[in-house]
Amino acid sequence: MDRRHRDDSADNGGDANGQREKRPRPAPRAISAAEIAEEFAHHDSSVARINNGSFGSCPASVLAAQRSWQLQFLRQPDEFYFNRLQPGLFHSRALVKDIINAADVDEVALVDNATTAAAIVLQHASWAFAEGAFRKGDAVVMLHYAYGAVKKSIHAYVARAGGHVIEVPLPFPVSSNEEIVREFRKTLELGKANGRRVRLAVIDHVTSMPSVVIPVKELTRICREEGVDQVFVDAAHAIGSVEVDVQDIGADFYTSNLHKWFFCPPSVAFLYTKKCSASSCLHHPVVSHEYGNGLPLESGWIGTRDYSSQLVVPSVMEFIGRFEGGIEGIRKRNHEKVVEMGKMLAEAWGTFLGSPPEMCCSMIMVGLPGCLRVSGEKDAMKLRSFLREKFKVEVPIYYQPPKDGEVLEKDGNNCVTGYVRISHNVYNAEGDYHRLRDAVHNLVADGYKCDMLSSK
Amino acid sequence: MDAPRDDHRLSENGNGNGCGEADGRLSKRPRPHPAPISAAEIVEEFSHNDPAVARVNNGSFGCCPASVLAAQLRWQRLFLRQPDEFYFSSLQPSLTRSRSLVLELINAAHLDEVSLVDNATTAAAIIFQHVAWSFIEGAFNPGDAVVMLHYAYGAVKQSIHAYVARAGGHVVEVPLPFPLSSPDEVVAEFRRTLGLCRAGGRRVRLAVIDHITSMPCVVIPVKELTRICREEGVDQVFVDGAHSIGNVEVDVQDIGADFYTSNLHKWLFCPPSVAFLHTRGSPAATPSLHHPVVSHEYGNGLPLESGWIGNRDYTPQLVVPAVVEFVERFEGGLEGIRRRNHEKVVEMGKMLAESWGTLLGCPPEMSCSMIMVGLPGCLGISSETDAMKLRALLRDEFKIEVPIHYQSPPKDGEAAGATDESGATVTGYARISHQVYNVEDDYCRLRDAVHKLVRDGFSCIQSTEEGIQHSSKREAAIGFQSRFPKHGGCGKFERPLGPGNGPIWPKTGLSWVRWMAHATTWSHIKRWHRLRLSLPGGLGDGTIGN
Repeated sequence: MDRRHRDDSADNGGDANGQREKRPRPAPRAISAAEIAEEFAHHDSSVARINNGSFGSCPASVLAAQRSWQLQFLRQPDEFYFNRLQPGLFHSRALVKDIINAADVDEVALVDNATTAAAIVLQHASWAFAEGAFRKGDAVVMLHYAYGAVKKSIHAYVARAGGHVIEVPLPFPVSSNEEIVREFRKTLELGKANGRRVRLAVIDHVTSMPSVVIPVKELTRICREEGVDQVFVDAAHAIGSVEVDVQDIGADFYTSNLHKWFFCPPSVAFLYTKKCSASSCLHHPVVSHEYGNGLPLESGWIGTRDYSSQLVVPSVMEFIGRFEGGIEGIRKRNHEKVVEMGKMLAEAWGTFLGSPPEMCCSMIMVGLPGCLRVSGEKDAMKLRSFLREKFKVEVPIYYQPPKDGEVLEKDGNNCVTGYVRISHNVYNAEGDYHRLRDAVHNLVADGYKCDMLSSK
Repeated sequence: MDAPRDDHRLSENGNGNGCGEADGRLSKRPRPHPAPISAAEIVEEFSHNDPAVARVNNGSFGCCPASVLAAQLRWQRLFLRQPDEFYFSSLQPSLTRSRSLVLELINAAHLDEVSLVDNATTAAAIIFQHVAWSFIEGAFNPGDAVVMLHYAYGAVKQSIHAYVARAGGHVVEVPLPFPLSSPDEVVAEFRRTLGLCRAGGRRVRLAVIDHITSMPCVVIPVKELTRICREEGVDQVFVDGAHSIGNVEVDVQDIGADFYTSNLHKWLFCPPSVAFLHTRGSPAATPSLHHPVVSHEYGNGLPLESGWIGNRDYTPQLVVPAVVEFVERFEGGLEGIRRRNHEKVVEMGKMLAESWGTLLGCPPEMSCSMIMVGLPGCLGISSETDAMKLRALLRDEFKIEVPIHYQSPPKDGEAAGATDESGATVTGYARISHQVYNVEDDYCRLRDAVHKLVRDGFSCIQSTEEGIQHSSKREAAIGFQSRFPKHGGCGKFERPLGPGNGPIWPKTGLSWVRWMAHATTWSHIKRWHRLRLSLPGGLGDGTIGN
């Protein structure tokens, strides 16, 4: 399918023959604000939901398509299993292939989430150490801001099997890509010290906390220059949030959740594996009948489960096609709006953004007034709960620990140690961010400090 | 935050004790209900099942009543409404509640021993990954053995090879006869196999024992086999009870295995999918048991690890309270359901065997809510592919859903196989299930369908030669990939296929592809592959030529 048109393609959900349009049908008109509100009417309307990044969102029309798939299975599960499941999964994979510009649909597997994809890639590395393909002490590199669950997975699989794990320290706040590239190069040098090989680099496309967009294409290029065996891009947040072109990025493995920014129900992610000799060695950890037939087929059957969230991609494409500019349009508007709201908050609170606008996507970090005294991760959690319960504002809070000797950014007299990560998706309205602004003003005016807030 | 509505329904019913209480206690005896659920209410609960289909295969995919589906929908909506709140406030307490109810159902000693996972396949992966690490890290020696039954589920066999054999373990199968006439035959073979391992100086690190084998389906005397394992010095016992809960009595303390898993969506009315994995002793006893999808709870014990494996829909694991409520609407509760299912399936099995002039695959006491019934030998089932074709034919032409097992005839020198009343060897068995929604007519339809096929002179062998005549009109093409594993596969040509017998490939729409459905030889498949590569657009399935 022509990449230029893929954003405007519209497919019927549940179409089992896998046919899809080559050219976009002109939509009668773009989806209206009222229609968007209706699509997300199942959200708690009293909550200022500015945390799309954590759990994503799913419109009513896609939920209805999912229900339809579920009922088809329940009606006659054997017939569904033999005749509909695999064609339906294949259709979804084919659409994902086009969206991410993969070369071949065989490179695209659907899994539960990026956490599962990480387990797949890391288990593969683990076997390589166990079976002697990698030497004990060979390195695996990850970013300091890698997602916590992925860090644990790296330790569970790589460190346990004898790999040496190295973290790339990253500054935050960050002001340019160069800062990241510099630290990355330095760490690779360290990784190769004493004749060690760097077997795998795990690079986030969009870090979670704190959230910044990482220059993955450049880092992947550096990896190739420096002889890193393989590159795994953990792009949990990427699809629907930044442009994803896996051939252009050039990594060996690339994963992203479709339920965060791509309107799928919980949960589904893709794992892209560049076709090469290693790709046939990747296995799903839940072994079933398709073991050995390639990861896409293995992942397509891991025992009886509800696969409906993987089957609704055609319905999601149809939903996205109702927006002006399709997914690109959604991404652009989300980005512009979140930057605008971020600046509004930073100005209102007298703080600043955690990264320049070009290093953010549909999320941005905004410093909280230092007088709130966020002094640890527990404080950040307490403040988050407090905002949820008292103000009905849902926003995650990041604690930036001060480093020894480092002078932190200040807002006036207080160090900024806390940042909110605000998201913008199609259902958000400016009022959501005004409520956050006012809630924080309220807390500041009342002289609240985090240690005054009781734990839940 | 407010409890989900199924709690309120429970209290409205005046069920002060038992399910729905926050301490997770379950009544040991069924509470008296105003009236047990009626036949009409059962029909309504399963009105989403296709009414045109004689669904005598509960064993493969299970079933879920409407009231439980409604409870699941409420949980889903709760999450979608405010996911962060759900994650921080509701999810873990609700999972704990489900685990508590399971603890009662299976008579586990401690809540720490009960984890909820997707399905028995996942549970198997957890156990075998643990064994693989033991080999890799030197706790086990290369060549130490893992024993499994010959009729272990195909996916589990694959998992044993993927983890245990790959890590250096020696895999041993216990041959099992079929048909069977008593549990003693199973015990004898099991003892013999363990004896062989002992004689060969092999340490047996793990025995994998099915509680109820899938195909062919028999109830295995797991308590006795576990005892034998202890006598013989087997390190650990893993009971794969995928079909058990809701089907046979499950008392994990009495059985005494180290690990026990069962699917809750097969016979315990949960939606797809959820299973429990019971591990004897606290997590401290098996510190290296981990969920393969590693997340924030890594190292905090399997129950907590399994309670968060990334963002997903956990609702199938949350509806156990609603399921318990459903089950207690039946006379005798779960025990009553099991008993009636068993009695009915035996009755129907005998009816079919008598009508077809065949036999049951095992005595009634070795069956549960499923039983194997021999098919007339003249149907000519000569391979797993034939069995699958016949199954598809019954589905498409007669709207009957029943899995078919192929039992290869005895080889020269072996004892003669089972025969039907005409003297033909019985090589095919239907595995019939009985669940609360089934009626006698379902089995009468199966009986009559087979009679019709026999009368029409149908034979699987003949249909292969003739090609299309009796093939499924909507049957998907069988791709060569699913038959021929690439790297890491077990390398067998005729691999056990999907649940029952299942293969899968995207539909292509080309009529000659149906011929492909009958291909059973490598040459056929290579020819198909050459054709596929030669066509400009491939087969229109998007894999090549775009």
